Amino acid sequence: MKTLYVEGDTFLHRLSPRTKLLGLAALSLVLFLVHSPAVLSVAAMLGGIVCASLRLGWRQSWLRLRPILLTIVIVALFTLVLNGRHDALIVATRLTALALFAAAVTATTSTGDFIDEITRLAMPLERLGVVKAADIGLSIGLVIRFVPEILSRYQAIRDAHRARGLKPRPLTLAVPLIILTLKNADDIAAAIDARGIRAQK
Amino acid sequence: MTTRDLVLAALFAAIIVALGLVPPIMLGFIPVPITAQSLGVMLAGVILGAKRGGFAVLLVLLLVAIGLPVLSGGRGGLATFASPTAGYLVGWFFAAVVTGYCSERFVDRSQSGLVQITGFFLAALLGGVVVDHALGILYLAYVTGTGLSTAFIGDLSFVPGDVLKAMISALAGRAVMVGYPLLPQRA
Repeated sequence: MKTLYVEGDTFLHRLSPRTKLLGLAALSLVLFLVHSPAVLSVAAMLGGIVCASLRLGWRQSWLRLRPILLTIVIVALFTLVLNGRHDALIVATRLTALALFAAAVTATTSTGDFIDEITRLAMPLERLGVVKAADIGLSIGLVIRFVPEILSRYQAIRDAHRARGLKPRPLTLAVPLIILTLKNADDIAAAIDARGIRAQK
Repeated sequence: MTTRDLVLAALFAAIIVALGLVPPIMLGFIPVPITAQSLGVMLAGVILGAKRGGFAVLLVLLLVAIGLPVLSGGRGGLATFASPTAGYLVGWFFAAVVTGYCSERFVDRSQSGLVQITGFFLAALLGGVVVDHALGILYLAYVTGTGLSTAFIGDLSFVPGDVLKAMISALAGRAVMVGYPLLPQRA
């Protein structure tokens, strides 16, 4: 799995993840309170400038933003038909600005930094006894570790279908995949406990 | 949460991610490709129950937020939460929790197969269709300012596919329960 993070040394890269996340949250609040298309277009343009300053290249930026921009265009078109030009312009500029700034934060914060920040943010929850903060990093690591294995297992099950001349169907693919995968849980849990990774304090 | 619960949730999150990477499966009787990730959300509730299923989906959303392209079509990153359809994405968590809670309530290992499948179907329908779509519609209507009724009409085209997914997850949930029961039992 390739992350959407890009190596670099721009101003945004050097900012702490917390500042960036809080900034993004504050910005999204402000953007939803503003109802002037002129201000929102300026915000969208600023977002574009910030993204351009990361030197991703046109192709990369386009590939990243395409799915979201497409949704925004569709929603804006609907709004245009239903509510008129003014509302459509507000929706399109507001969402574009938000998407651009969010993409900039994603591109400048590494997965490790994010996990550290989430672990720190979860500390108050740990004190409440809801979740152990260190478990979050551990589970994220587990997910990333097991995705390729599940994919190869999926391929094996599909090949088994082919070899027997069966048509692959959602049900006959999903059930063996899930049972085979979840049956590993005991071994993995035993391995984690044996290494004392979740040692009780 | 025991280590086993944590691992089960993480493994299921990995299954949901993997379901976004496999090519869409064509159903035999309807010419609509099924993108399997929202199916995975219902399955998480049906198979793992409310707590572990909800945690599995939360992990997937966390992976999206920290910038891994784990959603179908390689989508990911914080920008996904800025999209007008973000309500459906956040709704996944509540869908898994509601589906899981209802499955624990409705389905019992001593029931007959048909009753179990019906129970799972209703649970998946309530969580994966009613709750998820309600949140999706609310956010869409709020962001675009088009009003609830128009957002509702736009949403309707996705309902048949998701009802079908609820059906598949009910059948799969029952099959997994027979082969490898994991659902916590609630008295």
